[in-house]
Amino acid sequence: MTAPIPRDIPLPLPAPEGLLEILLIAAFLVHILFVHLMIGGSMFSLVCQIRGLKTPDYEKLAYRIMQTVTVNKSLAVVMGVAPLLIINTLYAPQFYASSALIGDMWMAVIPLVTLAFLLAYAHKFWWNHFLNIPELHIGIAALETVLFLVIPLIFMTNVNLMLFPEYWPKVTGFFSAMLLPNVLLRYLHFVSATVLFSSLFFVWWTGRKTFRVEVQFSELRVIDVRRFFYAFAFGATIFQILTGLMVFVSLPAQGMSWGFTALLMLGGLVVLPAIWWMWQNLTRPGHLLDDNFKQILTCFACATIIMGIARHDYRENALADHKAAIAEKTINYQAAVKEAGEQAQLAAIKAKENDVAAPGAAAFNQNCAACHHATLPTVGPALQEIKEAYANNPDGIAAWTKAPGKKRPDSMKMPGFPQLSDDELTAISQYILSH
Amino acid sequence: MDFPIFHIDFIGNRMLIAVDAILHVIINHALAVGALPVIALLELSGIRTKDPRWDRLAYRLLKIIFIITTTVGALTGVGIWFSASLINPAAIGSLIRVFFWGWFVEWIVFVCEVSLIMAYFLSWQSSARSPEAKLKHLRLGIFLAAFSWITMAIIVAILGFMMDPGNWMSERTLISGVLNPMYFPQLAFRTTLAMVMGGMTMICLTYLFTRNDLPFRTTVIRAISSWSGIWMLTLIIASVWYYQVIPQHMLANIPVAVTTQEYVSWNSSLKWLLTVGLSFVGWVLWSSVRHPGQVHGAKYLASVLLLFAMLGQFERVREFIRKPFIIGNYMYANGIRVEDYPLLQRDGILQHATYAGIREVTADNKVAAGREVFEQTCTRCHTVNGINSIRGQLKTMYGDKPWQPEVIAAYIENMHGARYFMPPFPGNKAELDALSVYLASQQKRATAFNGAQTNGIPKPDKISASTVYGTLPNLANPHGEQQ
Ligand code: HEC
Ligand code: HEC
Repeated sequence: MTAPIPRDIPLPLPAPEGLLEILLIAAFLVHILFVHLMIGGSMFSLVCQIRGLKTPDYEKLAYRIMQTVTVNKSLAVVMGVAPLLIINTLYAPQFYASSALIGDMWMAVIPLVTLAFLLAYAHKFWWNHFLNIPELHIGIAALETVLFLVIPLIFMTNVNLMLFPEYWPKVTGFFSAMLLPNVLLRYLHFVSATVLFSSLFFVWWTGRKTFRVEVQFSELRVIDVRRFFYAFAFGATIFQILTGLMVFVSLPAQGMSWGFTALLMLGGLVVLPAIWWMWQNLTRPGHLLDDNFKQILTCFACATIIMGIARHDYRENALADHKAAIAEKTINYQAAVKEAGEQAQLAAIKAKENDVAAPGAAAFNQNCAACHHATLPTVGPALQEIKEAYANNPDGIAAWTKAPGKKRPDSMKMPGFPQLSDDELTAISQYILSH
Repeated sequence: MDFPIFHIDFIGNRMLIAVDAILHVIINHALAVGALPVIALLELSGIRTKDPRWDRLAYRLLKIIFIITTTVGALTGVGIWFSASLINPAAIGSLIRVFFWGWFVEWIVFVCEVSLIMAYFLSWQSSARSPEAKLKHLRLGIFLAAFSWITMAIIVAILGFMMDPGNWMSERTLISGVLNPMYFPQLAFRTTLAMVMGGMTMICLTYLFTRNDLPFRTTVIRAISSWSGIWMLTLIIASVWYYQVIPQHMLANIPVAVTTQEYVSWNSSLKWLLTVGLSFVGWVLWSSVRHPGQVHGAKYLASVLLLFAMLGQFERVREFIRKPFIIGNYMYANGIRVEDYPLLQRDGILQHATYAGIREVTADNKVAAGREVFEQTCTRCHTVNGINSIRGQLKTMYGDKPWQPEVIAAYIENMHGARYFMPPFPGNKAELDALSVYLASQQKRATAFNGAQTNGIPKPDKISASTVYGTLPNLANPHGEQQ
């Protein structure tokens, strides 16, 4: 299958490519971390609110969780601007193409995120207004969570599509792009990462000294809440590895390489100690949830960075040939542009020489040709008609042109040309009559 | 030419950007740049007078600012990017290459701005615990106001650049783009307008929020009115300055008398609106300083709406005088560089448009080929059936008489001369002919026009999949190795 090869934007990159790539990986990881915390917060708040119907303490917890969402969601958006900017810079031919191919859903991201944010505010800022109508409150929370979950799917579809130019001709609209192999699995992998990172975050967050004071449970114990999150974190880690393997198996061959495979294995290996510690903390008496917490976080942080690098490596592998072909085509195209430009310049010089022979022609073409065609009525009457009306009367043309009247009922009023000199007008008039 | 063409026929591509951008600019000017200093002032008054009502009011106003700017405000900002990169990727892609570091700095400022507004809003209640904490908190507000202004100052450079790249065409550096001749007048105009807008908007909301405490309303409104009144005076000076610099500068660039007239009429509509608007708002502010209790809320509301209209009109004029270019003298609004024209007019645009489905116009494919030409050359500004529709334009020109392809062709060939704001036709004779046949065929029965988001793109052919050009040597691969 062949891929379309467009040309690149013919301006130099604003910085060395390597620097932009490093910035991209770093900025993307920061962005995605806050995205996870935002979506996970919304999910957990919903879950806690539902549990709160039976155990009111969970409702208090749900409220506190929404406070983190308020902050994390804003950071997710601002932190997303930098990777977007860099992707736009580095992958213009691919990224703009895939965006256009799923254009309506891509554009829908903006109203969808806005709506999700507004729902999140309604959910949080009006908390006490909903005390007597919990169904409505939970409904709002559910809608907000669903929106938060849909938006990453659109992003995932786009960044997946941009990797495979040879699929572009097959794609008609968002859904066909979403159903390309691997998108849904990647999405599953993403969602389990959301659960993993947010539940780890909440394990830490509920372990802070001030948490107990902030939340003021009446019966629930903080330790139980923390075990709740910890169990989610553990389960999500296992699920994450499984979905990761499935993504790996389903990845199209375009971007595969030994280096990429090795990076993935390394990333997987790094989390193994974390799994061991977490299992012990959950199951063994005498172990505390906070045991080895820093080490566990370090493992996950390393794995995330490695995965971020691997992800970029795959993209570069997948697009290497396409990028090279684009660069080649761009250079050749510029040469063609230059050649045609020079030809046109020569032709223009020739045309100027002809103008000296017929002085009215240039002025006519510049000022009048737009509206007056030789034989056809366009905006104004055809020259033919003018010639008939003004035969042997060049001064009449000049006078009209200086200050036109209004004659034909179904045409616009001709603008005046007071700026033309009498000589020019005479030349134009003679040109018209002799044409 | 190098990107699949996204097209929304109903509201039109320009309209999509315009709606998003105007909403963003209004929120940014009225609720961020202009309103945040007012909030800090109110907080300061609260600290000075030790009257808790100031503080409560400031917090309520800030809550509204916070909710709107962090949702609709921030997202419409990102939306400008999304829509611009769908609708004119060549232009936004070029701007990014030039202004990358400008935008990068802008992003850092934006991160600071968002962090500050969260810190300022979310720590408001807890800062009440001690006077020192309160002073620290006030400092956050001042920083926030400063950062939101800097965000605007950077963006104005980019906007100014799009109108007139100044020396950039020859120098191609960031600084030469930033220091283009439009920069300072535009910045002064926007800053002062934003301050007045922000003040007026806050007055309106205050009016609403202080229904039950009229003496306090009088005090607050007088304070904000005085602040806005001072900005009003500077706004008048800035408007005059802007008005002096821009038109002469732009007029010098417009060679065609017809367009000059249109331009003058656009500009005089702005002048008219500015004069009426500023007089009215000035009068409201003046009465509001002198008798703050006696000015009815409707007058404040009318002032805010007038200011919004002024800003909207200002943006429209700015957009209009930029045409036919999207980046002055470098790229036309159809996304094609001025430099590309000779090649496209010689070979035909379909030969070079990567994603075109037809390359050659023949006797049988005129309508279909014309549609492709239309897609490549007109759809960035026209729809078939929606806003600024080509059918509507042709109907105005030719009415119900049969539309003749030759007549349409004669017009399009010269359209840049007749209507300077439209770029010259970037194709060859055969394509002009096909386009005119296609347009004439739309008189009776318009075919639906969908973009690549619905139709997808054609299978790559030889032209789309190859990297070489005609008989030219392959410069990228000088040894002639075939790939
Ligand atoms: C913007 C389009 C436009 C341009 C440019 C234009 N004209 Fe016209 N011209 C018209 C229209 C429309 C009419 C018909 C006006 C009417 O009948 O009221 C017209 C009519 C005329 C007539 C016929 C008047 C008559 O008595 O019937 C002459 C002569 C003429 N134009 C000369 C010129 C010359 C010379 C120039 C260039 C210096 C020029 N026009 C440029 C639109 C234009
Ligand atoms: C820069 C954006 C732009 C591009 C590109 C563009 N147009 Fe226009 N066109 C306009 C605007 C703006 C108007 C005026 C709309 C109005 O006055 O309501 C217009 C008006 C027209 C009119 C009516 C002219 C008149 O004198 O009343 C026609 C016909 C037309 N365009 C055809 C085309 C065709 C065909 C193409 C493609 C080859 C094209 N335009 C490309 C912006 C553009």
